[in-house]
Amino acid sequence: MINLALATILTPFLGAVLVALAPQPVAKTIGRSFAGLAFLAVLTLAISFARGGMVATERALLAYGGVEILGFGVDRVSVLVAVAVVAIGLLVTIYSADYFSAGNREHADIGRRRFWAFILVFIGAMAGLVFTSTVVGQLVFFEITGACSWALIGYYEKPKALASALKALIVTHIASLGLYVAAAVLFLSTGTFALSAIGTLPAATKTIVLLAILVAAWGKSAQLPFHMWLPDAMEAPTPVSAYLHAASMVKVGVYIFARALMSSNGAPEIVGWVGSIMAIVTLVYGFTMYLPQADLKRLLAWSTITQLSYIFLALSLSVFGSQLAFDGAIAHIFNHAFAKTLFFLVAGSLSYTAGTRLLPILRGVLAKSPILGIGFVVAALAITGVPPFSGFFSKFAIFAGGFRVGDAHPALYVLLVVALLESVGSFAWFLKWIGHTVPGTPSETMAAAQPVPAAMRLVLGVLIVMAVASSFIATAWLG
Amino acid sequence: MSGFQLVNGLAGLLIVTSLLVITARRPTGSALFYALQSLVMVAIFLTLAGTVGSHELTAWAGTSFVTKVLLVPILMTRLLGRIEDTKLGSGERIPPAVSVLLAAVVVVLCFWVVDGVSLPAAAAIKPALAVSLSHFFLGLAAIVTQRNILKQVFGYCLMENGSHLTLALLAAKAPEVVEIGIATDAVFAVVIMAVLGLQIHRTFGTLDADQLTNLKG
Amino acid sequence: MVPSLLPPLMLAAPLAAAIAIAILPARDGGNRTIEAVHVASGVVVALLALVSVARVIGGADLVAFGGWLYVDPLAAIFVGLVGVVGLLTGLYAISYVRHDVEHGELTPQKHKIFYVFFNLFVFTMMLAVTANNIVMMWVAVEATTLGSAFLVGLYGRRSSLEAAWKYVIICTVGVAFGLYGTVLTFADGAAAFGDPEKAVFWTSLMADAGKLDPMLAKIAFVFVLIGFGTKAGLFPMHAWLPDAHSEAPSPVSALLSGVLLKCALFVVIRYLAVTSRAVGPEFPQMLLMMLGFLSVAVSAFLVYVQHDLKRKLAYHSIEHLGLIALGLGIGGPLGIGAALLHAINHSFCKALLFCSSGNVLMMYGTRDLQQVKGLLRRAPASGILLMAGALALAGFPPFNVFVSEFLIFAAGLAQGWWALMIVTGLLFTITIAALIHIISGSVLGKVPETVPVGDVGWRALAPMWALLAIVLVLGVAVPQPVAHLVREATAVVLGGDRSAAIAAPWQTPAEPVAELAPRAEPRI
Repeated sequence: MINLALATILTPFLGAVLVALAPQPVAKTIGRSFAGLAFLAVLTLAISFARGGMVATERALLAYGGVEILGFGVDRVSVLVAVAVVAIGLLVTIYSADYFSAGNREHADIGRRRFWAFILVFIGAMAGLVFTSTVVGQLVFFEITGACSWALIGYYEKPKALASALKALIVTHIASLGLYVAAAVLFLSTGTFALSAIGTLPAATKTIVLLAILVAAWGKSAQLPFHMWLPDAMEAPTPVSAYLHAASMVKVGVYIFARALMSSNGAPEIVGWVGSIMAIVTLVYGFTMYLPQADLKRLLAWSTITQLSYIFLALSLSVFGSQLAFDGAIAHIFNHAFAKTLFFLVAGSLSYTAGTRLLPILRGVLAKSPILGIGFVVAALAITGVPPFSGFFSKFAIFAGGFRVGDAHPALYVLLVVALLESVGSFAWFLKWIGHTVPGTPSETMAAAQPVPAAMRLVLGVLIVMAVASSFIATAWLG
Repeated sequence: MSGFQLVNGLAGLLIVTSLLVITARRPTGSALFYALQSLVMVAIFLTLAGTVGSHELTAWAGTSFVTKVLLVPILMTRLLGRIEDTKLGSGERIPPAVSVLLAAVVVVLCFWVVDGVSLPAAAAIKPALAVSLSHFFLGLAAIVTQRNILKQVFGYCLMENGSHLTLALLAAKAPEVVEIGIATDAVFAVVIMAVLGLQIHRTFGTLDADQLTNLKG
Repeated sequence: MVPSLLPPLMLAAPLAAAIAIAILPARDGGNRTIEAVHVASGVVVALLALVSVARVIGGADLVAFGGWLYVDPLAAIFVGLVGVVGLLTGLYAISYVRHDVEHGELTPQKHKIFYVFFNLFVFTMMLAVTANNIVMMWVAVEATTLGSAFLVGLYGRRSSLEAAWKYVIICTVGVAFGLYGTVLTFADGAAAFGDPEKAVFWTSLMADAGKLDPMLAKIAFVFVLIGFGTKAGLFPMHAWLPDAHSEAPSPVSALLSGVLLKCALFVVIRYLAVTSRAVGPEFPQMLLMMLGFLSVAVSAFLVYVQHDLKRKLAYHSIEHLGLIALGLGIGGPLGIGAALLHAINHSFCKALLFCSSGNVLMMYGTRDLQQVKGLLRRAPASGILLMAGALALAGFPPFNVFVSEFLIFAAGLAQGWWALMIVTGLLFTITIAALIHIISGSVLGKVPETVPVGDVGWRALAPMWALLAIVLVLGVAVPQPVAHLVREATAVVLGGDRSAAIAAPWQTPAEPVAELAPRAEPRI
């Protein structure tokens, strides 16, 4: 089991080395094949894990005189999230092979080896972060994803892109000090780095560790006060945004927080209060920032910030004792990953075919390109949580769990009502843009658009299916 | 007059000579006064050697005489006699009177610091010890207040003399080889600094430390 | 203590090489025999150093010349650094200096002088780290300045002469403070032990540190810290360092930053051990912590505004030496062990980066980062090496600096220095930005059309790949021998009984660290 997890982590790293050594034209093939191999590994892992009765296992890999430095573990949560990050990694690499081409109307490009190497490292590091069972492991993979995100956001090497990349790196690194603190405190009080040791800490120390991890999580997941890097990171090539800013990098934050809570053996309530209040503050702030956006990608960036706030809210609610909210959070990580990737890739296809992402001049998408029109609608409805699309089910679980614990803590009702209002508001706002963009006769820009290449259409198709199916998979898996 | 009193008296003379080294108008003049000062140092060593009965110190006085009274001043005069920077003048950042005043302040401070030392060996020669410490800082002050890089070299020589005297006063029976190590090293340092000074004079055409301003930040 | 021929041999090899090279004639284009002698000396020194380290790890402290030379675990760390980094930068130097000779920047005579002084420099550093006689320790540190001054001024340009002058005057004056501290310590010991012969040895000072006069010990430590701290490049005595590092030939910069600064620091650590035993650790640790933190704080900002690649790296050296001092100041087994580990890690990482800056100079002929563009496209190997080095220095895993920085951070928290460590962490974020600027501005980007494509030769790249390999290995897992050495060296510094070695906490997990380093109340 652990060997399969290791294979998932190491295959992409190996691919990255090969990409660095091979000539540029074959980089594309290597990139896709190794992402495919990693996906096969994680799929095999998921199947055998499910067949084996979903028994959580853990193994220390690198120990130093008895201190576990690096270890990996598989359980329900880690396997589910790993499948999402690796599968979406594969989809993005398939998509990218066509996206990075001379035919791209927004950014004609040849798909440099740098892209393939770093995206593969990113997939591997994400898998590593998901499976690791130690804080140091989390820290290492956290920093590796940070460095890769810098390289990928700054891929076009324009001054603005490089500045945004640096911003992303620095902001998330400042936040990562929280993880440093958590690792140091955990190590100093227990003599080990294992996450499971969080549960054995005395209450005061446990609070410090959890809050420190929460700070690091805010950084990666672009929550207030570390939110500003994400909208700027939209300078990245769109497949990169799809992967980093929908499926993987931003999920690092919520995932490490979720892991810490799972290991905490009952977290102090103060952590729940800090987490949920900050989540609501970010939620409201993020919603107000929807309104001025005309660039589809920037709109999606703010939408990602608010969706991550829902996950933080759910995780914080679980501190008060709601397992339902916790499962809802994990399901939302899974669902949002697919839905938001779909949305970003639709945005990427629009810039590929029409050469722009500016919503006001994009009209009549459905008539010109049915798959993009359908993708746009499905993604928007899945994200805003309209049944039967995936977002609805995980959000429902979050709210249901929240109202259940609200009986004991009436103040939580206030937070939940705010969140509900945001949910309605964002639905209205996306509905407005659907109405503007999708139906009707094509605008001048849209009419001149070129067709979407086959590989990209395939990926969009798979993601449209997943936008409906993912919540059923998640629910079945989490039980 | 006991040997220790003589030592203390001679130490006072050291301050005077070091002021002369600092305020001399030309580097060659400094070299001459430095030789004079080193002679006073040798006298102190000999007196101390007689008073405490240290034959190590006698040998020490001998090596000091060779290196400091003869070798360094001769080397410096030979090397420096040829070069001059007329535009620089005396190259003092502060007037001589202020230098003297500054020296007085340094000496007073050092007396105050030395007062706190409770080492038995230091009891009888505290004034000399204070002088040796202030000597060290006078050398530092010389480096800071002089723009002529060659006079900065003499500042270093003063610092080195100060530490040397402290060593003699506090540990009269130090192994000879310790002293030789310090002395040779100091000679090498002076020679290398002088050679670099010459190269700078050749390249820049000046001895003014304030003209060395290519590197900043 | 075991009498051994190894320390004298380690000293004899580079000295003999220096003399031999001085005798050999200079030829047009550079005498190849000189290079052969130089390489042979480097290899021999490195081998002897590694054998010595192995013997020390095996439990034998080596002594020679009646106790004048002494290699204990603490010294062994630095002996190993001098040997290995000396060899790798020495190998790198061959193609670098050849390049300069071919382009007329150095005459054949200068080619020869370079190798003479390079070997002398290695000799003096080796002497400094193997010295047990504290006066000889000072003499050796002073000699390192004198030996390397001509290397700094080698090009004979106005700027390099200026740098050499600043280097010599600031360091000799600084080290004169070291001399005063040495003299005070010796006099103190001579009076306290009643035996001047004994007081000159660090080992006996350490054994009987309790008898020293507390007031004198404190004054002496202040002098030593100012003196050798100057040489280690600590703020506010750092002014010489950026000039000397940037003007010296790149392999020498690598040696200056990678090894020389550590040698000076080694002396400070020796005195730290004695002073801590004589007057308790609080006083010396407070001073180290102050200087260390100030160095980090000031250099973090100065790094950022530099456009000269080598000056930028030089300020990074100040910063990391500051961090090491901070670690020493935090103290305890974890703090000191982490500081020593960081000294090792920084040496290799910085040597790699200065060699990279040498590649940049060879290819672009300038160190101005605003003119260096597109290194990765022009010369992929050099580009990757510079990028990896910069990421390593920025403290990203899986490189080695990450490990020791984290341990220093943890040590600070263990002693309750919360605010201080978080501010330090933020300051290091600034330098990450500075390093990323190097990558985004100069490694990436388009190649200017005037610049031809092509990398430097394998002779320059091979030692750099070796350095990168070491940086990675130390980052993935500190090898057992190194960890063992660091632990023993920590015990030496703390003056503990080495047979029941004081373990750095990452080595004895069985007992919670909390017991080794009792949790302190948060301090400001």
